[in-house]
Order: sequence, then C-alpha cells, then structure tokens
Amino acid sequence: MTLGGGRTALGEVTTHNIKQLKKLNSVVFPVSYNDKFYKDVLQAGELARLAYYNDVVVGGVCCRIDLSEGQRRLYIMTLGCLAPYRRLGIGRLMLDHVLQYVEKDGSFDSIFLHVQVNNESAISFYQKFGFSIVETKPAYYKRIEPADAHVLLRAEQKTLRKTNEEQVNHPTVNGTMSNGPTTNNSNHHNPHQHYNGRAK
Amino acid sequence: MSANPSLPNNRTLPPKEYALFKRILKCYEHKLYKNGLKFAKQILGNGQFAEHAETLAMKGLILNALGRREEAYEYVRRGLRNDLKSHTCWHVYGLLQRSERKYDEAIKCYRNALKWDSANVQILRELSIVQVHTRDLVGYRDTRNTLFQLKPAHRASWIGLAMSYHLLKDYDMSFKILDAFSKTLTIRDSYDYEKSELLLYQSAILEESGDLQSAKKFLLDHERDIYDKYTFHESICRLYLNLGEYGRAEAGYRKLLSMNQEDGAYYEGLAKAMQIADDPAAKLQLYRNVERQYPRAYLPKRLPLDCAEGEEFLTYLRPYLAAALDKGTPSLFTDIKPMYQNPAKVIQIGNLVESMANSLRDYGKFSKDDEKVASASALLWTYYYLAQHYDYHRDTDTALAYIEKAIEHTPTLIELFMCKGRIYKHMGDMNTAAQWMDEARELDTADRFINSKSAKYQLRANRVEAAAAVCGKFTREGASPMENLNEMQCMWFQTECALAYQRLGQLGDALKKCHEVDRHFTEIIDDQYDFHSYCLRKMTLRSYMELLRLEDVLRAHPFYFKAARCAIEVYIHLYDHPLQNKSADEQISPVVEAVFSDISIIYVTYAFQADRRHFHF
Ligand SMILES: CC(C)(COP(=O)(O)OP(=O)(O)OC[C@H]1O[C@@H](n2cnc3c(N)ncnc32)[C@H](O)[C@@H]1OP(=O)(O)O)[C@@H](O)C(=O)NCCC(=O)NCCS
Repeated sequence: MTLGGGRTALGEVTTHNIKQLKKLNSVVFPVSYNDKFYKDVLQAGELARLAYYNDVVVGGVCCRIDLSEGQRRLYIMTLGCLAPYRRLGIGRLMLDHVLQYVEKDGSFDSIFLHVQVNNESAISFYQKFGFSIVETKPAYYKRIEPADAHVLLRAEQKTLRKTNEEQVNHPTVNGTMSNGPTTNNSNHHNPHQHYNGRAK
Repeated sequence: MSANPSLPNNRTLPPKEYALFKRILKCYEHKLYKNGLKFAKQILGNGQFAEHAETLAMKGLILNALGRREEAYEYVRRGLRNDLKSHTCWHVYGLLQRSERKYDEAIKCYRNALKWDSANVQILRELSIVQVHTRDLVGYRDTRNTLFQLKPAHRASWIGLAMSYHLLKDYDMSFKILDAFSKTLTIRDSYDYEKSELLLYQSAILEESGDLQSAKKFLLDHERDIYDKYTFHESICRLYLNLGEYGRAEAGYRKLLSMNQEDGAYYEGLAKAMQIADDPAAKLQLYRNVERQYPRAYLPKRLPLDCAEGEEFLTYLRPYLAAALDKGTPSLFTDIKPMYQNPAKVIQIGNLVESMANSLRDYGKFSKDDEKVASASALLWTYYYLAQHYDYHRDTDTALAYIEKAIEHTPTLIELFMCKGRIYKHMGDMNTAAQWMDEARELDTADRFINSKSAKYQLRANRVEAAAAVCGKFTREGASPMENLNEMQCMWFQTECALAYQRLGQLGDALKKCHEVDRHFTEIIDDQYDFHSYCLRKMTLRSYMELLRLEDVLRAHPFYFKAARCAIEVYIHLYDHPLQNKSADEQISPVVEAVFSDISIIYVTYAFQADRRHFHF
C-alpha cells in the first residue's frame, strides 16, 4: 500500500525486533511498560503488529483479550504512531487490522481502550472508527497529568456464539485473566496499570 | 581423485596371495580400511610373505588414511627397503608424502616409481597434478606430453596438454592442440555447454597471445555454438575496441546495454567506442539518450554525476538526491562518496543537502517552490546524510547534532545508531562506539551484518570475550564461538581479534590468531588440489585458469596483509623486548620458535605486499 508518498505494511513482533517496539512506545506514550508487558506481546500473535513506512518501523499496536465482567472484549493496550508519520493512515492501517481480526473472530462483544482525557487526536481518531466515550475514570493514571481517562468503546455484532473454548482458540495474553485487575467486582478496572505504574 | 596406487608387477606373489593383494587395493579405493588391513594380515601372516614389500606399503597407506601416521611411515619405508625396484612402493611413498603436503618429496618418489614403470598412467597423472599444483610448469608440460602419447584417445590428454602450454605462455602451441582436438569432436545439435566453454577458452588464448584479429575471427566463426552470450558479446566488443573497429564496437555495446543497463563497464565501453570518453558533454548526451530509451534504468541517472561540473552538476545532483532521500536509501552516502574527491563538488553537495533539510523541516518539501510534498521520512534520511557528511570531514560535533536530530525524528531506524557508533569510533572513543553499535544490534538481532559490526566494534574496544559472545548468536550451537569462527575461516574476526590482543599485550594470543589466518590461506591454496583433475574432466577451463591465477597471488589479499603486519610487529616487539616473566616466557617461547622460521616468509610477503599495485586488489 502507498500512503503519503510512502509504502506501508504491517509486520509481526518477534524476539528479534521487539526492541524497536520498545523504542517506539517509549517516545509515543507517556506511560512506560514493564518487561512483562513485552513478554506477553511476544505471545500475542496477530494481536501485536509493527507498522512500517518505507521499511522503517513507525507504529505499533498491542491488544489482548479481556474476559472480565462476563464478556469477551478486545482491549487495545497500545496503538501509536511516531509523530512525524501521523495523519498518513498508519493508525488506520493498524486499527483496520484489529477490526478485521475482531470481525473474523465473530465472538467479541466489544473493543475498548483507555485514553487520557486531553488526548484529542486519539479521541477524534477512534471516534472516526465508531468508538464513543462510555465512561470517564477519575485518577486512572498514577503518575501523569491529567490522571483521568475516558473509556472508548465500540460495540461489536457477534456473528458466532462461542462458549468457553476461547482459551484454546484465541491467543490471550498470558496470565492477565487470572492475576490481572480485571475481575468482575473490580470497579476500578485498569488494564494499563497492570503493566505500568511508572509514568515517565 | 586418482590417488589410488597402481597394481604391482606380479613378481613375488603366487595367484592366491596376488588375488588378496588386489582386494587390498579395492578396499583402499572404497575406503574400507578395516577390511583392507584384514587382507593385508592374511598375506603378511603367512611367514613366507611376512616381508612382502608391496603389502607392507599398502598396509602403511591404509594406516595413514586412518590417521596413524607414524606407523604408516614405518610400514611404507620397510616395504620400500624390501624392494627398491617396486613402482608400487615408490608410488605409495609418494602418496604418503603428498598427503603431508611434502610436494617436492612426493615428486621425487613418483619419479623413482616411473623409473621402474615409465608408462604407468596413474603415476604420471599423480605426478602431473603435483607439478601443476606446485607450478613446476615445465615439468607439468613434459608429463602431459608423456600422458598424451600414452593416451591420445582421452579428451583430458588433449586438454591437459594444451593447458600446460598455455601456462607456459606458448599460446600458439596451446591453440593448435585445442584446434586439432575440436576437429575430432562430433558437434552435437543440442545445447553443448562443454563445446561452448572450449570455444571461449580458445578465443581467450588467442586474445591473450595478442593476436586480436584471429581471436575476433574465431569468435565470429563460432558464434552459433557459444551459449554464454554475455561473455561472447563482452569479448567481441573488447576486441573490436582494441582493434579500433569503433563502429562495430559501438553496435556491440548497444546490444549489451539492451541486455543489461546496470553494468557500468558497458557505458564505459560505449563511450570509448564512440570516442567520447574524454568529452563530458558528449557523455552526458549519451546518458540522456540511454535514459530516454530505458527510463527505468538506474545508471543513466547516476553516471552523469561523475562527469558533470559546476551548475550542470547541480541540475543532475538535485533530482538524484531528492529521489533517493524521498525513498529512503540507506546506502546513499556510500554511493555519493566517490565524489568527495572533488572539493568543489563536496561544497555543492553539502550546501544542497543543508538547504533540503531546511525546506523539508519548514515546508515538507525538498525546495520551498516544489509542488510535490516529500515523503514523511525524507527529513530523517536528509539528517542521516548530513551526519555522515560531517562525519566524513571529522566535524564530529555537527555530525552528532544531526544524528541526534534524526534519532529524535525516528528513533526506530537502526542505521542511525550504527552511524552514531561510527562517529564515536572516528572520535577515537571506542567504548562509546561499541555501545551504540550494540544498541543498533539489539534493534534487530536477526540481522547478521549488524551482529558482525557490533562484534567488530567490541574488538576495537578490546573486549574480546564480549565480541565472541555476540558472534555466538550466529555460530553453530554447542560449539565455542571462537572455535567455530576459526572453522568457518571468519578472517575479519580473527584479524581484529589479533589486533585487540596485541593492544592488550597478550602477544601469545595475538600470534595465535595471526597464525590461524595464515593457516586459512594455506588451506585455500591446498583446496586447489582437487580442482586440477576435476576441472579437466568438467571442462570449466576458463574458470580453472582464473583459479590458478588467483591462487598465485592469494596472499596479496588484505586479510593476509593485516594479519602478517600484526605478526611482524609482535615478533619485532618480542625481539626488542624479550619477555622477563619466566612463566609467560615458557608459554610463549614454543610458539615463537615454531614460527620464527616462518618469519622470513612473512617478511617476503610483506615486501611483496608493498608492491600490491601489481595485483587487482
Ligand atoms: C491516534 C493515532 C494513533 C492516530 O494515528 P494516525 O496514523 O495519525 O491516524 P490516521 O492517519 O490513520 O488517521 C485516520 C483518521 O483518524 C482521524 N484523525 C487522526 N488523527 C486526528 C487528529 N489529530 N485530529 C483529528 N482527526 C484525527 C482522521 O479522521 C483521520 O483521517 P484523515 O487523515 O483522512 O482525516 C496517533 O495520533 C498517535 O499515535 N497518537 C499517540 C498515541 C496515542 O495516543 N494512542 C491512543 C491510545 S492507545
């Protein structure tokens, strides 16, 4: 595909190039992610992708499957693009990949994510793809300002009824379901903090 | 390889034992060494034949193949003592010497063997191979002559004979032999690669002899049977050119250009054929015409940069750089670097790229007035270029400032960290250099090139173990990286390693690495051995000639030069500063002694090296 005068493509995240994802995330997000996050990303299969522009890594997306609250939801942990390469369709390329994954799967209730309340570009971006703000969580982030987060959500049409074979059929991020803060009674649902904690 | 000993004359063994003896030969041929020894024992076990010379010799030869060298010599010598007139014993003794690379000794043995059986084809072939291997060219020619008389019906007899004359630069004789030979060939209708190679070899002999007219005529007469069309056209064009037949040369080079537009030699040939080699304006016109004809070709865009000057240079440079920077061409600086010989051009390049960086930063275009918006990565590559540009001039502050801008723009681009490492290297700060090169390596651990670069930088920082560990990510699993790198003849590593040890004062280790490199060269030269007979059979005559010529100057290779220089420096240092420390002295002295005999050889090579301009390296 050619965008903004450049060729773009998605590629897998592997043990060989994961350091590029780390570099990218460290400049795109105000939050820094720990080793466990990257270890899990390596297991995430299609739910993690790097975006290339003229053969250079300029974006990355990492998701995981969230089974809390009796639902099957796709949670976008990070989706980001280096500043000089924004508004060229790279974000769209990555999100399309995620949307296709969800559509092909057919058993997700929704896709959701958290954004800092002042992140207007991200909010506009997601709104463009049918997401809307469903909730605002005060003091969601620990060490960054503003600390409040919007929850952006896009409801999905289930085409397949899946029972409880998810663990077998879908890549899930190891361990997050059992020891993450994503239990049913958690009203302070914060998948980010499971990994980070340390604001830059 | 025809290294099997020939049957002896049945002078001493009765039929039953003679049959056994023949089985020993078979076993040796098929590498069934255990069985061979068993049959030998059956003969030698019989008291009557316990001292049978040829059986003893064969037993020795088999033991040698099993790696039991000392016993091998014992048996072969005993056999020989028992029958000094046995060609088999002498032949076997020769094979033994040859296996130890004692070629002069081997030749003597074969000659002795031939005294007792002058028409033994097997021994003559062996002898001829050792002769060409050691470049005893006159001896080789004589042996090939004998072989030719004995086996005139064999193809290899003709080819070998012709080659022996060629090696002695007797082109006339060489060509005549091949010509007579090819008349004996029945030309097959279908694709005949061997015939085609033979024809090209013949024309090469004519051309080398200086008889260009005949070479040309020969090629044209046989065009139909030559399948390597590139070599055919390249040769014929070169001949036309050297014969001053410019019109034909021009047509020929245009034909070659239609086959491949990315070979600079074709453009050069064409310019010579058009007699415009010294006329930049005419050459520019030529490139424009070629570009019009082949719009997708790359060289017609690149070559004008070499001959245009002044304002005109800029008109070519601007679109060329803009296209490369827009696309993101990591090798751009290397591509442009030859022009840095020209101070005027360097200034033009620097100014242009600076101005491009400014307009890209402010307007997202290569020039404010451009219509076209540049790609999002253009600014990045422009900064990267400028970093290299200033690094070239050793203006490291400016270079670092640009590389930082580039990293800030796109921190995921591996080349940037390599470049940063290189800048520090040029500053002489090897530790920081190695650190950044390793950062680059970590960004793509599947990239072997960066892996090697990082290892090399570690060595420059005298961190031998770290370097080996880095290389270990690509060497065979289970093997120690150091050993595996030696097995793989990884000479850049071993040379850099030697230099690191030298700087660290670990002189014994440094010498060890230098000698490992030297051994690789010996091995490469030895590996030639099998090709002497193989190439005659396969008819890859031109490649074989090239191989021989390459082997003759092999040690002129820069790898050897570097290792030899390091060894010489270490030896001189040891001579001037004998080691005080007794225990270390004990460690190192055997090495020093063992190689001190070599040092004269190395010196000679060093001198030889100084004259390197004679060789194409
Ligand atoms: C959000 C982000 C990923 C968008 O990436 P991008 O590559 O610039 O997005 P695209 O070019 O694919 O944009 C697709 C569409 O989204 C909308 N959009 C994107 N950025 C926008 C902005 N800053 N303002 C308004 N609309 C925007 C536009 O409608 C755009 O289509 P258009 O360019 O044709 O008008 C990028 O801004 C980013 O990396 N931000 C920092 C990281 C982050 O906050 N991530 C979100 C939390 S996970």
